[in-house]
Order: sequence, then C-alpha cells, then structure tokens
Amino acid sequence: MSGDHIGPAATLAAQVRHLEGLLEQRGLVDATELDRALEAFLSGSSPANGARLVARAWLDEEFRSRLLADATVALPELGLSMGGGLQEQRLKVVENTEDSHNVIVCTLCSCYPIALLGPSPTWYKSEAYRSRVVRDPRGVLREFGFVLGPAAAINVWDSSAESRYMVLPRRPAGSEDADEQSLAARVTRNGLIGVAPV
Amino acid sequence: MARINDVGGMQGFPPVAQEVDEPPFHADWEAHVFALNRALIGRGVYNLDEFRDAIERLPPQEYLASSYYEKWFRAITTLLAEKGVLTEEEMAGG
Amino acid sequence: MAERFGPGDRVQASRTDPPYHTRLPRYARGAIGTVMERQGRYPLPDRSARSLPAEPEPVYAVRFTARELFGAGDHTVTVDLWESYLRPAALEGNR
Repeated sequence: MSGDHIGPAATLAAQVRHLEGLLEQRGLVDATELDRALEAFLSGSSPANGARLVARAWLDEEFRSRLLADATVALPELGLSMGGGLQEQRLKVVENTEDSHNVIVCTLCSCYPIALLGPSPTWYKSEAYRSRVVRDPRGVLREFGFVLGPAAAINVWDSSAESRYMVLPRRPAGSEDADEQSLAARVTRNGLIGVAPV
Repeated sequence: MARINDVGGMQGFPPVAQEVDEPPFHADWEAHVFALNRALIGRGVYNLDEFRDAIERLPPQEYLASSYYEKWFRAITTLLAEKGVLTEEEMAGG
Repeated sequence: MAERFGPGDRVQASRTDPPYHTRLPRYARGAIGTVMERQGRYPLPDRSARSLPAEPEPVYAVRFTARELFGAGDHTVTVDLWESYLRPAALEGNR
C-alpha cells in the first residue's frame, strides 16, 4: 500500500531508490531485469497451485501415493514445478491423518514453497511464529482458531535446508460429491501450511 | 555465538498476528528490494548463503526492530560495502 | 561421498556453536533423533556463506521429540540437517 510515507519509511524508500540508481549507473542491474524478477515471483505463484495438488490427491489415490513418495516428480503431472526461484528446491508433501497433523515453519529465516503457495504472509516470517510453533504448536494453532483434538499428534517440519514442505490436509467431511475444482476451492493457504484444518 | 535469527524455541514473543488479505509487498520499495536482491544474486555479486549470513549479522536490536524487507535492505547494503561494490558514503549519498 | 546415514538411524546433532552462518538450529544442538529420509545432497552453507569451496554432501530429515528438545511437549520437530552436523548417536544405555 504505497501512499502516505512519513518518518523512517519515507527515508527507506528514498534510500532504496538511491541504491537502485547507483547500481543501474554501475551496470549491475537494469530495469528490465528487475521487472522480470518481480514478474516471475508474483505471476504463476499462488496457493491455487497447492490447492490443485491437494484436490487431485483427494480424488486420485495413485496420484496421492506418488505425491507423498516424491512430490518433486509428481508436480509436472499438473503442469507445476518448484522452479522460478534462486535455487532448485525439492518438495516434500506431508499428509494429515486422523492421528497426525503437520505444520511447517522455517525457524532460521523464512523458507517457504513460494511456487505452490505464492509469496509468504508476514506472520510466517515473524519471530513470534518461528519461535513458538516448534515449542508449542498446539497453542499456536489455537491462535489461528484451530483447536486440534488431543488424539492427533503434531509433527512440526523446520525447513532448514533445500526441501520445501507443503501439507496435504484431510479431505473435509461431506465433500464426497464435490468435483475437483470445488474441492480445490476449499483448500486455503493456511491449510497448506498446517495452521488450519484445510 | 548463536545468532539472533535462530529463534526456534525462544520464549517471550507475542501471539502470532495475522493480516487479512495481505499483499505480497506493503510498499513499492519492498518490491524493489526484493527485485534488487534477485538481480544481484543472479549476477553473482553474492550468493544466497552470504545473503542469509548478512541478515543474521545484523545487531540483535536492529534485527528485531526491523521489518522483513528492511532486514533485506540492510543485508544488501552490508554485502555491497563488504564486497567493495559501493562505499558506505556513496550509498548514504541520498 | 557415500551416505553415512539412512532412514531409521539414530543420530546426534553437533553441540558446536559456530561463529559463522550455519543451518543447525540452536534448539537441536546435541539432541538425539531419528533419520526419517534423505533429502538430497547440497553444499554445506556454513562454507558457501564464507565463500569457501563446498562439495555437495547428504542432507537428512531428522525427527526429534519435543521432550528431547525442550524437556516437555508431546509433538515432534523434524529438521533438515547436513551430514556434517550429525554423528551416530551413542548407544541408548549410555545416556
């Protein structure tokens, strides 16, 4: 939301503009390159991608098995990939069941499966989330309004290396007659991270 | 010397605050910082590990007080100075 | 370099607190966990962050119980750790 810049934010915007000017002068960046970087990041990366994987897995048992066994290899079946980032990453999809619930974090920085979930939300990158979810995941889930039953054990996944994680939520009850598109529409970004049931 | 970014399990942080329908960038300068970083890494001015390292080396108080892309901006200017690409004076020129 | 560990192996994370960039979180230092699966091979970031040459080495998803990490809790935390951060866990009876 660019608009009223006052105080430190205005200074920062000016500093960034100044730095960009210097780098352009030195031939280290050019405007086209910058636009392309943004375009690659924003377009095509969306939680709708992750949702499509989930819906397909809910409907197709064999696809689900392939996705859980080697998600990176299963992605192209839906025309998706983990590419577009700075480094080629592996994808690991972890499945929620009646007995176990998964939640994803990067405690050290902010690693996140951007290609499948789009840009990450600020809360995911916050010290509050990163510090607390490994220690009290049930409490953090409650803050998201998600009260997980005591029978379900929680597995927290800390993306500390080159693998990126995505949750395969449980298929909602009463969705037996839904088609693939409407199933996908029920999957939220928070569900793919594990802080919501779906 | 465990660094300030290594917060897993650390106590005292507040409840997680969600922003509804949050945009990827909250200001134009954030998008520019994002793109600059991609371009500089793409050109090999520094690598991703060096970038993370530079963020982690921010003084703890500054790290905790800075927004996400402010941290990025500080890390970029640190690396550009350390690598001799630009001087502090030039970058402060404003 | 052949993989040192495989799924099911009990491993212990290094206790070292290095004065440089690392991807072993402090909460896992010295902790004993179980290798869940291999996660490919990548250059050690501790070295590439310092512009040191680094050959790809195996990375493992290692699962720790919350009790092991924090002394309390009934959940698990699985962390992706480079082989350099790990050694075989001592026999259980010795802990």
